[in-house]
Amino acid sequence: MKRHLKVFILWAIIGTGVSSIAVQLATVREFLSQFHGNEITISLVLFSWLLLTGLGSLIAKVFRRSSVTAFTLLSGLLAFWPLPQLILIRYFRESVFVHGASPGFNQVFFYILATIAPYCLLLGFILPYSLRVLNERGENFTSGGLYVTDSIGDITGGILFSFVLVYSFTAFVTIAVTSGLLILVVLLLFLVFRRFVLFFFALVCTGLFCLFSLNSHFEKLTLSPQYGEILRYVESPYGRIVISKEGTQHTFWESGTPFYSDADIVNSEEKIHYALSQLEEVRSVLLVSGGLGETLLEVSKYAPASVDYVELDPNLTRVAQELGLIAQSPSLSIIHDDGRHYIKTCSKKYDAIVVDLPEPDTFQLNRFFTSEFFSLAKKALQKDGILSFSVDCSPNYLSEIQRSKLSVLYNTAKQHFRNVLILPGEKAYFLCRDGELWTDVPARLALKSVMTSYLEGFYHGNVTQERIEGLQKKLDPKAPANTDFEPKIMSALFQEWFTKHGSSPKVFALVTLGLTILYLIFLRREEYVLFTTGLANMGVEMLIIFTFQVMYGCIYLKLGAIVTAFLMGLLPGAMFGNLFKGRGLIPFIVSEIILFSLLVVFYVWISFSEGDISQYYFLGYGFAFSFFCGYQFPLAVGLIGEKESPAAGCLAADFTGAAVGTLATGAILIPLLGIQMAMIFLILVKISSNIIVLFPRGRTAS
Amino acid sequence: MRMTRKEFLKTVGIGLPALLCAGGGLCFGQSRGEDIRGEIFRKDAPAKPWKWSVEGFYYTSDGKNVQCQVCPNLCLLEPGDRSVCRSKVNIDGKLYSLAYGNPCSVHVDPIEKKPLHHFYPGTSVFSIATTGCNLRCLNCQNWEISQKKPEEVQSSELFPRDVVRESLRRESPSIAFTYSEAITYYEYMVDTARLGREAGLKNVLVSNGYINREPLLELCKVLDGANINLKSFDDRLYRALNGGTLQPVLNTLKILHEQGVWLEITTLVVPTYVEDPEMIKRMCGWILKELGPDYPLHLLRFSPQYRLTRLPPTPVATLEQLREVALGEGLRYVYLGNVPGHQGCHTTCPHCRRLLVERNGYLLKQVHLNKGHCKFCNHVIPGRWSQA
Repeated sequence: MKRHLKVFILWAIIGTGVSSIAVQLATVREFLSQFHGNEITISLVLFSWLLLTGLGSLIAKVFRRSSVTAFTLLSGLLAFWPLPQLILIRYFRESVFVHGASPGFNQVFFYILATIAPYCLLLGFILPYSLRVLNERGENFTSGGLYVTDSIGDITGGILFSFVLVYSFTAFVTIAVTSGLLILVVLLLFLVFRRFVLFFFALVCTGLFCLFSLNSHFEKLTLSPQYGEILRYVESPYGRIVISKEGTQHTFWESGTPFYSDADIVNSEEKIHYALSQLEEVRSVLLVSGGLGETLLEVSKYAPASVDYVELDPNLTRVAQELGLIAQSPSLSIIHDDGRHYIKTCSKKYDAIVVDLPEPDTFQLNRFFTSEFFSLAKKALQKDGILSFSVDCSPNYLSEIQRSKLSVLYNTAKQHFRNVLILPGEKAYFLCRDGELWTDVPARLALKSVMTSYLEGFYHGNVTQERIEGLQKKLDPKAPANTDFEPKIMSALFQEWFTKHGSSPKVFALVTLGLTILYLIFLRREEYVLFTTGLANMGVEMLIIFTFQVMYGCIYLKLGAIVTAFLMGLLPGAMFGNLFKGRGLIPFIVSEIILFSLLVVFYVWISFSEGDISQYYFLGYGFAFSFFCGYQFPLAVGLIGEKESPAAGCLAADFTGAAVGTLATGAILIPLLGIQMAMIFLILVKISSNIIVLFPRGRTAS
Repeated sequence: MRMTRKEFLKTVGIGLPALLCAGGGLCFGQSRGEDIRGEIFRKDAPAKPWKWSVEGFYYTSDGKNVQCQVCPNLCLLEPGDRSVCRSKVNIDGKLYSLAYGNPCSVHVDPIEKKPLHHFYPGTSVFSIATTGCNLRCLNCQNWEISQKKPEEVQSSELFPRDVVRESLRRESPSIAFTYSEAITYYEYMVDTARLGREAGLKNVLVSNGYINREPLLELCKVLDGANINLKSFDDRLYRALNGGTLQPVLNTLKILHEQGVWLEITTLVVPTYVEDPEMIKRMCGWILKELGPDYPLHLLRFSPQYRLTRLPPTPVATLEQLREVALGEGLRYVYLGNVPGHQGCHTTCPHCRRLLVERNGYLLKQVHLNKGHCKFCNHVIPGRWSQA
């Protein structure tokens, strides 16, 4: 059986790939539920993950000798550890931080680093170590082959997670299912190599692993410290939905943030009546999210003929209906779709569109606060119909950041509506209409004989004429508009987040930049190319997902297809690269030029194409770009030479580049400079590697 | 293949900081959870006082270092340092307030908004605030001014005389020092209140009550009403959620009572922290014993704010339960806040149980008071009422 060592180890690599992708995605989702779910958190998680994995690969260089037993033990640890990792993330969240508090940037970053470090370091380590195990035992296996094998696992794990597991299974079960292959290989390895004590130990661990990971009650228990008494818990493709109970009160949580509670009269009345009271007649209303509880009751006071409630996640409305939190009515239609996609494709026209979404601090949410969206909404409104949306706003002072945020939104809305009014209630409510807008909402309600619990008595004390006019005067007429591809408002929200926690990303940015430069100094030429390719690959993937969402909405299945297309491109690319390995520099140069060209093509697409780009182009593009990224890896290894043990260095370069690309694109470039500038950055990065490849030191250009 | 020294150094150079940071981060997070008290801002003072400065009223100095005496933080400042509240600085061995005549928030509010229910109901109050706060509450509604330095915000210019003039112009019979933390602009508040008193205006303090005895006694000479935020009755919670301690606030309540300032107490019922009936019982027991049964207690519904955004709002049933506890302990006027339309915001006579004041938000729908007495049984209803 020892003759089949290679087979076992290859299956272990595949199993690692399957498991690691699922663990990565489950971990990202977990952190989004633990911390603020904005793009910075997403970028930090991916950045930390990729960086630590790259570091783990580097550490593999230190080990001169390898052992099959050590490899098997480490693989076993890799298979079992994700479950305790997830439990510890939840447990320590409540003990390290104040319960209910949102930590700031530095705390989030350090927490992520600390909790995922063991797994990621091990993950990065095991891949080059597996190569050493094989080669030291006379099994001829190349770094390119390692890359290909790992890619098979990654693709399988990605498909499994994105198209199967995420729809029906919780995080624990997902980890259990995807770790299965690796656990099996580990057990077999111990058995085949007659390590019986370790085999039985692994068997016990497997039993415990299954016992805890497949126990839904236990999983709920690990969430209780965060949520209290959990009534329902659903993991959907769009996030974690938890319904908790505090006495008789229900609270809906989405990815760790409470977004609805019973008796939220203030929010319901403000968002509905500020808008609907402006209209002479209310026949049809569209609610984009936020249709739970009192909201529909408030809408019903106007007796509209139809109320359409669009909610992205069917799990949310299903649970709400089961708990009786959606008032049933013959005029009510619940539509499960992305709100923007629905508005774009529906032929119906509404008297009022009320958007009730969280702050637009993700690309997904920003799409509902842009010029393009307002244009779509206007087309879906009747003549003199009204659009209403809201953002957070302090009641007593308008900070510079909030001023910027409100000014951007105001100017954006003003591009499409003759009249825009901001009412400074508990939030800043924007009312957008071509017709007249009135500030005396209670008077309008009295005209319509609409009774309210909050507005009648509180409005004139909270939303005074002075406050309305004062806010209006402070708006900046020169603030730029918020667009799909230049999300100006996200920049303001990121700044607000940092300010709220008294932290600044400057130190982090400087340290990261410094360490990156230090790292780059020590890279080989070929590794630098892989670094830039990894950077560009992640950057392009984020840009494509972002652009796709802007055009087509958050349609999870299709987004999963894009991610899968990227993964699937890597494998045949790597296999193709293996064929050309050892044929000198030319194939490497060709791959560089192709990647550069593809970046330019994408830039031209988004800059100059009018109308939407076919969805299949996104898939094809993702596949093609990823193909040539995968193609480069074995070529780079070939140029370095297998004897130099390049797998560790090459993998590290790839991971580190991907880490930097994630952070730079997601958290900095797109929010601050827009998508076109992000593309230009990636193009420039690729140009730098083109130069290095085409004009290496000591070689005269011909 | 052996690792070269360069490669080893590279690995360590990248790996060690990452792991050290991770460890440091955990320690950092651990310590921050127990006491979130603010810290002095070292070498953060401007070189010289600016236009909106005044020398501090209460501080000690050894010629070089100063110690502010206004609040229990007792900030000891070396030259160039800034206080925890961000408003006071040591410039050349003197303590200066940088929050004098430069309010960043100026509004006219209903008096019920403070909330004050037994203090000239139905009137308006001219409300001002500068930046600063001596606590670090995780759920601060006004964090954008309370957790800022005076130089970091846009302000108006309203010196004490201007405040009084504006208040009169807007026909507000009262001035409220509110929004952020009035104690941190103590000098501005006291000077304004003095002039306000001279002009026949009432002065209202809306505060966390975190102030020392001497400055409070001086303030009481010009104060007519106060709403003090009693955030909990647990010193541990005060440290973990607010960055302060409990005892000074209790001392403030007693002093205000002794000095005859009309007092109303507000407690924000934060879920999982301030909703324990036993704690509320102890709190009400203390209020009853030290202050008596007549000062209104406002129990407010919490909603996620600032950094405390991962808690649900307070269940209304919890508020109702705690109100029953408070009434059961003997407090006579217990109101629920942030629950529109709830009958717990009305005033009833503790003697004949008739409805005295029916409120709809800030509006008074019915008032059955006659010069501070119940119209039905003539029972004295404590408070400050207009003579009408």
